[in-house]
Amino acid sequence: MTPTMRITAAAAALFAGGIGAAQAEIKIGVLYPTSGTGAVYGVPAMQGHDMAVDEVNAAGGVNGEMLVTFARDTKLKPAAAAAAAKELITKDNVDVLVGGLSSAVGLAISEVARQEGVVYIATIPKTIQMTTTKLHKHVFRTSSHTDFEGDAMAQIVAQLGKTKLCDIQLDYAYGHDLAAGIEKGLKRHAPDVEKVIDLRSKLGATDYNAQITQILGTGCDVVTSGLWGSHFVNFAQQAQPFGLFDQVVYISGGEIASHEIAGRMGKDYPDNVWSNTYELWYDHTVPAHEKFQADLAARAGTKETAMWPVLAYIGVKFIAAAAEKAGSTDADQLAAALEGMSIDTPVGPRTIDPETHQADTGQFWGPMVRKEGVDYRVMDPVTYIPAKID
Amino acid sequence: MDMLLSNPTFVLIQVLNSISLGMNLFIIAAGLSLIFGVLRVINFAHGAFYMFGAYIMFTVAQEAELGFVTGVVAAAAGLAAIAVVVERGLFRWLYDKEHLMQLLLTFAIVLLMGDLAKIIWGTDQLSVSYPDALRGATDLGVTFYPTYRLMLAVIGPLIFLGLWLLIERTRWGRLTRAATQDMEMLSALGINVPMIYIVIFVIGSALAGVGGALAAPINSPTPGMDATIIVECFVIVIIGGLGSLWGSFVGALIYGFVFNFGSVIVPNWQDVFAFLLLMAVLLVRPWGLYGKPEREGH
Repeated sequence: MTPTMRITAAAAALFAGGIGAAQAEIKIGVLYPTSGTGAVYGVPAMQGHDMAVDEVNAAGGVNGEMLVTFARDTKLKPAAAAAAAKELITKDNVDVLVGGLSSAVGLAISEVARQEGVVYIATIPKTIQMTTTKLHKHVFRTSSHTDFEGDAMAQIVAQLGKTKLCDIQLDYAYGHDLAAGIEKGLKRHAPDVEKVIDLRSKLGATDYNAQITQILGTGCDVVTSGLWGSHFVNFAQQAQPFGLFDQVVYISGGEIASHEIAGRMGKDYPDNVWSNTYELWYDHTVPAHEKFQADLAARAGTKETAMWPVLAYIGVKFIAAAAEKAGSTDADQLAAALEGMSIDTPVGPRTIDPETHQADTGQFWGPMVRKEGVDYRVMDPVTYIPAKID
Repeated sequence: MDMLLSNPTFVLIQVLNSISLGMNLFIIAAGLSLIFGVLRVINFAHGAFYMFGAYIMFTVAQEAELGFVTGVVAAAAGLAAIAVVVERGLFRWLYDKEHLMQLLLTFAIVLLMGDLAKIIWGTDQLSVSYPDALRGATDLGVTFYPTYRLMLAVIGPLIFLGLWLLIERTRWGRLTRAATQDMEMLSALGINVPMIYIVIFVIGSALAGVGGALAAPINSPTPGMDATIIVECFVIVIIGGLGSLWGSFVGALIYGFVFNFGSVIVPNWQDVFAFLLLMAVLLVRPWGLYGKPEREGH
């Protein structure tokens, strides 16, 4: 549904219910990039959001109240996201904000939520700052963060018994935070690993030859990285003829194990890559995933589905659970309900820490291997690395 | 950094990296510069033309599996066709208008083509395979180097030579050069100047298409790739001199070297050196290394 259609549907519902029906709904302001570069993530995320809303409403809503979505495009820009969030609160009177994509956008929405005293559930942003230095009583996060991600990567380095490590990251908040998360993880899990070189590429960089040849020159046996999306595609395509992936194991955050990347790269996906994803359409480790994926496939019209919908889906499910528990849409009561709340999701149970407002969202990690009969890589074995740091 | 001092093979590899990057960029920048040299239009949409070249490569070589060379030819032909439409439909009405109007028009084309690309190819990061013959690496004796990159390093100079011969050694090229000097005189002598304009615009745009097609295996077609390339092209043509073929060639090589060695020496500041160089050129020699100072009243 387009935003206009949603509002029309909401208006129709209002008229049908007559006066007083205005109270009988929970207004959710949702913020994803649905145009421009970010649409590759935002559009599938909206599918997951809509699916969760439809499920909740089909089951009779929350305490008899229907969920109604007010969607705005963040355009992947913090300023646009902040303006949209303000408008959702002041003009549409939404009860809660959900979504956000990219660390900068997430922090911008969180700031509006803090000022306006509205609950915001961040479903995708990963910067550690959101639930540490920039934490406030109305912000919650259901995605993972860079310390969990870096710790998992360090565990894999230790497990594979690698000793000389090169790190290459994008030169902005996410890359810097992930590099710090890996450092901390290495101290815990693999203190003897020698970090040989730190390389940085700018966000949107297209040429990686200088970095690739430097890694080769150092003789590293493992590369850690958070190059995501097209950054990884370019890096991998350029590194393959140099034989980089024959020399090193490439351990990557940034969800390059998701099927969006593996499916698109097909047989060009390199060897010796270990990476993460929140969800895999072909992995039903959690029984509830089978029905989730089938429903999503029907909605998307493809057998193979993207990873992003589950994140938005979980955000809505938390809102519904919190509103049910609170029996109200008052921001403070919603926030109180979210603290310590547990729900079951298609990718396992999730609990929000009452102190940090961070959900214990782990990720699936594993090597990306060839499989008989399909022309893309799959993760095998799939291992869930839980979100805990000890 | 220490690798530069202690390992000659590493230096050789960085030199090859610089040349192959520079030559890929040269193909695109040459088109931009050629169009400006004759039409006096700074075509901001040149980056979008490059992006279309990469996407056409994806459709032809990756999806339809018609082969790599077919992909390059299709990209050139596709951009030539777009160029005819843009030149005849839009540009020709603006040749005698001020530069700002032309700039705004080309910017409108950027936005239009960006959305068009999203409608046709979606927003995924696509991936184009190397052609089988150019996959892998070539043994250079002291080291292996990606075959595809070597091919780029060879194709660039060939295109340079072709353009140089066309402009400097043919009658048509002489007419083109004359058109940059005095278009009215040329018209008075019975030369079909509009025809020269179309052909130049088609050649320049086709170069953007070829550059995009050749870049596709190392630079995944994705929305927004036009913005990155147009900045790089401007740096190159401003350093080299807008409108000069030699300028694009040397400017592209300089950019390749500065970018690569900059990345190795100060990894976190890889872009700074190219832009410092750009500023120095603008201050000391604003018309670029191979350009000519603009005459008054031109």
